[in-house]
Amino acid sequence: MEVGQTLEPLQKEEITHTQLIRYAGASGDFNPIHTVVPFAEAAGLGGVIAHGMLVMGFVGQAIGQWFEVKNLKKFTTRFKAMTRPGERITVQGRIVDENDTCWICEAEAVNEAAEVKVKAFFEIRK
Amino acid sequence: MSTGLKEKVGLKLESYTFRVEKGKIKELAQAIGDLKEEFLSGEAVPPTFPTVIDFWGGGASSSELLNLNMKKVLHGEQEYEYFRGIVPDEEITVHGVIEKAYTKAAMNFYVIRKDYLDKQGKTVLISRSTIIERH
Repeated sequence: MEVGQTLEPLQKEEITHTQLIRYAGASGDFNPIHTVVPFAEAAGLGGVIAHGMLVMGFVGQAIGQWFEVKNLKKFTTRFKAMTRPGERITVQGRIVDENDTCWICEAEAVNEAAEVKVKAFFEIRK
Repeated sequence: MSTGLKEKVGLKLESYTFRVEKGKIKELAQAIGDLKEEFLSGEAVPPTFPTVIDFWGGGASSSELLNLNMKKVLHGEQEYEYFRGIVPDEEITVHGVIEKAYTKAAMNFYVIRKDYLDKQGKTVLISRSTIIERH
């Protein structure tokens, strides 16, 4: 590990409506904008959108691929764009800095058109 | 509309307690597709597991507290600061407070801070959620 290092991208499967329903049940977030198409359309969203926390979960999965999850100290995400069923997310990341105890990293979840869905920052104990 | 915003700073969420069930850990890992053995066995939790504590712990009261229109609400940011790993079968109690409230670009922003404590009252993690309400 060293500052400037690029981490191997995590390629996720296409998001499905079923996955959003499954995530709603697992997380307990039953806001119908994520699961009920007519409701999401009435809300002006043009259909259901994925839970931001699901996409953060993808980034968490990538962190666990790159490091030991138990060493994660801080994990921040900014939700930049809505994610919809049919999209395929890739998580890419890099080590941008370090201090005595931690690696400072950034990552983003992007779709196939390189649209950034989630921008993430995290610190992981060495 | 924004006149009532400042008054919401300092409002406390009703506290809630959640027992960290192994089945819920596995369910979340499977929903994300993060199939590490320690998650499937429930021995360790994915980094975003606190969202399960929030929603299944009887929380999600922030929308009521802030009187939000759920059709207009988006999740802007989420931050976790971890002090130790969550252990299966332990009980975690959550105390939440509205830390900030402001208006920007025709949207209301609320920052909710939550402290997750173990049975001994020690902090396991702290979260900050930024909730955006479109006008």
